[in-house]
Amino acid sequence: MIDLLSYICLGIGIVFWFWGTSHLLGRRSILFKLHSLSVADTLGSMSIIFGLLLKIPSEWPLLILAIISLAIWNTVLGYVLAYCSSSGDSYE
Amino acid sequence: MNLVLIAMILALLIPTYAAWRDDEVWQRMLAFASIATKTAIMALVVSVFRDDWMIGIVAVIILSVGNAALMLLAHVIKRMQDVSNS
Repeated sequence: MIDLLSYICLGIGIVFWFWGTSHLLGRRSILFKLHSLSVADTLGSMSIIFGLLLKIPSEWPLLILAIISLAIWNTVLGYVLAYCSSSGDSYE
Repeated sequence: MNLVLIAMILALLIPTYAAWRDDEVWQRMLAFASIATKTAIMALVVSVFRDDWMIGIVAVIILSVGNAALMLLAHVIKRMQDVSNS
């Protein structure tokens, strides 16, 4: 039962990855790509790590650390990239 | 397990192709940030499936320090653009 649940989490995470990164190939603006990429990538990676956590609970400190650093850093990186790229385009 | 890894490698190919195709620096930066997160998660998956702590620690270090380095790099690129424009 737990095994099935962890595989479902892994599958959801991989679907999120494909959905978020497929916007990279489009011709939309960079902020749209950044938004879809940061949201879908972070949520998908968190779902994958949660699936791994269900699989092997003995490694929980490492996996919780991974989830926390993912949540904080990807959000901050999204803001910084948006700030840098938008002010870089403002002279056009 | 192999199916999960194959699907992850396929997902990794998309930002690699985007980084190779686009010439604009911010598009490329975005693709590289995606590649960094994906490879770290892949290393974490491998470490859990092999029940190996060492690989997992390396993956978590990549996840935190690699993203911080990307943030610093974005600031350096922005400053370089500001200097070259002024």
